[in-house]
Formats: sequence, C-alpha cells, structure tokens
Amino acid sequence: MSSKLEILNALKLSALTNHPMPSIDVAPRGDNLIGQFETNLNTVAGTLHKEGGLIALQAKVDELIAQGLQVISLVDGVTANREVPPTAHELKDIDYAVIPGDIGVAENGAIWVNNKNLGHRVTPFICENLILALPANKIVPNMHQAAKEITLDVGEFGVFIAGPSKTADIEQALVVGAHGACSLNVYLL
Amino acid sequence: MAYNHNHEASQGSQNHAHKADIFCRDETRVDWHSKALWMLREKRDRAAGSIPEWEQLRQLGSEIKLHTLTHLAQYLETFEQNCIANSIQVHWAKDGAEHNRIVHEILARHKVKKLVKSKSMLTEECHLNPYLEQRGIEVIDTDLGERIIQLAKMPPSHIVVPAIHMKKEEVGELFHELLGTKAGESDPLYLTRAARAHLREKFLTADAAMTGVNMAIADKGAVVVCTNEGNADMGANLPKLQLHSMGIDKVVPDVDSAAVLLRTLARNATGQPVTTYSAFYRGPQPEGEMHIIIVDNGRTEMLKDKILAESLKCIRCGGCLNTCPVYRRSGGYSYNYTIPGPIGIAVGAKIDDTNSIAWACTLCGSCTYICPTKVPLDKIIFHHRRLKAEAGKLPYGKNSYMPLVGKFMASETMLNCSMSVARTALRILPGSLLKPFSGAWGKYRELPVAPNSSFEAWFKKHRSL
Ligand code: SF4
Repeated sequence: MSSKLEILNALKLSALTNHPMPSIDVAPRGDNLIGQFETNLNTVAGTLHKEGGLIALQAKVDELIAQGLQVISLVDGVTANREVPPTAHELKDIDYAVIPGDIGVAENGAIWVNNKNLGHRVTPFICENLILALPANKIVPNMHQAAKEITLDVGEFGVFIAGPSKTADIEQALVVGAHGACSLNVYLL
Repeated sequence: MAYNHNHEASQGSQNHAHKADIFCRDETRVDWHSKALWMLREKRDRAAGSIPEWEQLRQLGSEIKLHTLTHLAQYLETFEQNCIANSIQVHWAKDGAEHNRIVHEILARHKVKKLVKSKSMLTEECHLNPYLEQRGIEVIDTDLGERIIQLAKMPPSHIVVPAIHMKKEEVGELFHELLGTKAGESDPLYLTRAARAHLREKFLTADAAMTGVNMAIADKGAVVVCTNEGNADMGANLPKLQLHSMGIDKVVPDVDSAAVLLRTLARNATGQPVTTYSAFYRGPQPEGEMHIIIVDNGRTEMLKDKILAESLKCIRCGGCLNTCPVYRRSGGYSYNYTIPGPIGIAVGAKIDDTNSIAWACTLCGSCTYICPTKVPLDKIIFHHRRLKAEAGKLPYGKNSYMPLVGKFMASETMLNCSMSVARTALRILPGSLLKPFSGAWGKYRELPVAPNSSFEAWFKKHRSL
C-alpha cells in the first residue's frame, strides 16, 4: 500500500466528529484607511510617501542614480539604470528595486506583490532596499478583504510584504535588515 | 565556552526536573530568560488588545482548523490535485524516516551539494539535517536564530526564537570563532550584519532550498511560508529546485481561512501585526522544480484520541511557550522533545521515555487562554497524565501518596471531571505532588495551597462523583 493510502486510511479512524466550516464575517474598521495603513506601516518599520505620486518617485530614483546606485524599476512610468537580467542571481548588486504593489492592507501595513511584476521572483528580497508603488485606492481594511482581492493564478507566486526584513534573534534586540531588503519606502499613486 | 553551559541540558533523555535543574543553576540567567519571554508575552497582549475582534478571530481560527481536521482526507486530496495542476510534485511520507528518504532522493537526483533551509519544526522533528549531512549534503539553516544554534551545534530551545537562551556575548564569541567577526564584539546590529553577509554568499551558491509550511491552501494548491527575515524567500527563489515539508495538519480550505490565521499568527508570536513576508507559492519558478512532502509522523495516531487530536489545531506561534511559567524558568532543553513548552508536552508526552514532561505544568491554563486556535493545552496535558497513569508510567518516587495518586489520576472520577475540578484537586494536593520531583522550576516559588483542605479529604469527597 502506498504511504498516501495508508495515511488516508488512518484518517478514517479519527475520533473527531465532523465540524462545519464557520462563516468568516468580520466587520471591517473602515474609517481613514490611509491613516491606519500609515500607522501600521510605521510599526513594521516602513515609510509612507503620500504626496507627489509618480513624479516624486521618479525624482527619488534620479537622486539615487546620481549617487551612483544601481536601481531597477518595474513600475510603468519610472525609469532607472538597470534592466531585468537573464538570471535571478545577477540581481545581487541591486541597491534599490522599484516594484508595483497591488493591494495595501490597512490593519497591518502589508502590501501584496505578484510575480508578474517582479522580473524574477527574488527581486523584492535580494535588493538592498525596496520601494513599492501603491495606488491609493487599493488599500483595503483588513486581511479578509485582501484575501478576496489578491490575484494568485495557476503557477504564480505572490507575497504580502510588511516593512523591511527584520530579526530579533539576538537577545530580542530588533535589527532591521536581516536577509531581505534593509529599508522599505512606499509611494502612494 | 559559555554557551556550552546549557548544552549539557540539551542532550540525552533525562527527566524534566533534572534538566530544569541544570538550567536553574544560574539563577540570574533564569531571571533573564524569563524576562525576555515575558516581554514577548506583553507585546502579544498589546497586539491582541488592539484588535477588537480578537476573540472572534480565535474562535474562527479554532473552528477552521477543527473543520479541516474533521475533513482532512478530502482536503489533502483536493490540495494534491490542485498542486499537480500547478506543476508541483507531491510526495507522502508516513514517518520521519520516509520523509528524509524522499528529500534525499530528490536532492541526490539533482546532485545537490548545498541546501539552504528556512525554519521548519517538522524537519527538526524528523532529524533531517544529520540525515542529509551523513550523505554528504551541506545543510545551511538560514534563519538567524537557527544559524546561531546550528553553528553552536545545539538544537532549538524555542519554536519561534530558537536561540532565546543565548546571550549576545555568547553569540559574539561564537561568530568570532566561526565567522571571523571582531573579538569581544557583541552588538546585535553588528552581529546580524555579519550573518547577513555570511548567509548571502550561501544563498547565492545554493543548489536547492527547503522551507517549512505555515498553511497549505487546498483549493489553490499553494503553500504559505511566513518569515520576518526573508530567508525562506531568498532561498526558494534563487536555485531552481525548491522543497517544502508540511505536516498533514497544515492544510486549510482556502485563502480566506489562511487570512484568519495570518491575522493572529504574528500578533500572538511576537506582537507584530503580521510577519514581514507571507509568501504564497502556487507553482515553481520558470524552468524550476517544486516539491511538497506531506508528512504524517504520528499525527493520524493523535487524531484517534479525541482530546489529543485538538493539539493538531496548533499553528506554531510559540505564544504558549512565552506565557508558560514553567517554560520560562526551565528552558527549552528540559522537555526531552524537539518542541518545548505546553505544545511540546501536548505533542511529545506520548513518546517521552522519562514519563516526566506531562508534569512540567502547573495547569494554570494561561497557554489555553492565549492560544490563537484555542488548543485546550491544559486539558491535553492533564489527559497525558491520565494516560501515563493508566499505562503504569507515573514518574513519582516512593512517596507515600504516590500509589494513591496514581490510581486517582487514572480513575473514572478524573476521567470525567471538568478541568476546574481537576485544578482544584491539584491545588489542594500536597506540594510534593504538584511538583512531583521537587520540580526545579518551582523551587523558588511556593505555590498556594488551600490551608484547610487535605488531599485525603478532597479525594473522599470526590471519589463517589
Ligand atoms: S498551541 Fe496555540 S499558543 Fe501554542 S504554539 Fe500552538 S498555536 Fe501557538
């Protein structure tokens, strides 16, 4: 008998009685979504730029390039100095990656990113610093709402990103910048 | 070296009290350990308190898990079918040995020399690392805490913060010796940056990556992996071969269910509103290969017992460890099992050959109260005591009360009584029973004993219930 069959057969001996699926109906706290989002983004060590949209973002990118930094942009209308390379590993010296975010979550500051907009899946993790561009009208109150609106089609990869990477594994001291990006700036569009 | 101090406690199968005693030899260290964990508990309280619907989310979490556990075969099969439609290869393993064999076969087929791994309590449970190392594969744990204990050749002492028992000076000393950081340097920022540089090189040269699974989404055929450091995603998205190991209990029906658990997981673990990265893998990279290994390893056995079954609702947030007065003062190495604390007792007591960890608990109920999926930990632990008693495996010495207590624990009374009755019973038991082997963790804390009750009187009154 295959292990799969053995496991499925063993499950028939479960002592638990059937429990129905609960209906998930949690009231959203819908007031001032951008305000909530900003507060929580700050809590997870990210920074929100509310004014200026794409123009402010392009100005920032120009400034970074003028400092001699390597910047890659996957946001329409923002040009940088690096293109998507043939292999993921070649992204290892990217200083800043500029990526579109699909959905922002007010209750926790997380932003959903889908692999269609990443070039390589590793882009938002391997870059030294991450910039996400998020349409202001795409902020939802909570994860229940976000679950309804994210796209994750067959074969895809997607990720909620809440702030820069961090760790507190040495004596509980919070250090921002573990293995992923060391900073996160979010530009509202 | 100083960090070996606790290593003594991490080895061998000795009873909880003995190992706790080793940990407790250094009282300032115990205080420090306890305080660090209490800080996590306080952060958790603030995070939970800031969500008015917290209790509703706990109830939903509990019911979603219970629903899935009671329809597990159906959800596992749906999950597998959907994975296959996403070009994910699915494997089933009855136990740890089969899991390790499958993983090694996949790695050997691809001639993998170097594997980067992110945190997975399941692979700890299966002892995967030594298995692969013996077969010539270099395994690099990439979570900072895991890397620290891997370099120190120690097992994790906590399921979320695995190096919580180590002081920064010890980490500094270890890194100086093995990674070449400056001698005497113990600044967490400096040490973390050093680890970042060291591990970045490993990520870029790895042949394959392996992660655990926080949730497996049945109707999508996707796995969700949560980290704060980004190590799972740095790993899985560089090499073209990715492996994910999951217990059969990790499956949930849909993304909506996962969203409920994602709302409580990090809040209950560290007090963050959500983990930094909650990544959804619904297929391999272009030209890549993705494998999922679904593991039983004792879980279907647990499901055969109505009370023990509920421990499979656990989402491994670590909250019950942080709040546990015994864990905080006895350390993660005193449990004779890979997973310590209340949940470690719940899932490990059965195979605990010292028959002692079921007693490493005051039945205060704090763990049950904070658990995001309402795992009835105190009830499960108490149930384990009864199972041990029934099997004639009580850990007591020759104290005069012991035979009586043994019978009492296994009696119909205790089988049927509610937890509140059980708690009263244990409160009025003589201290030596509550702390059967003068439990080291309780040495400096006398527990209140009801003054006018005696165990005999209570027993007479209740034996006829
Ligand atoms: S039993 Fe509950 S509190 Fe403990 S680790 Fe599991 S989910 Fe968290």
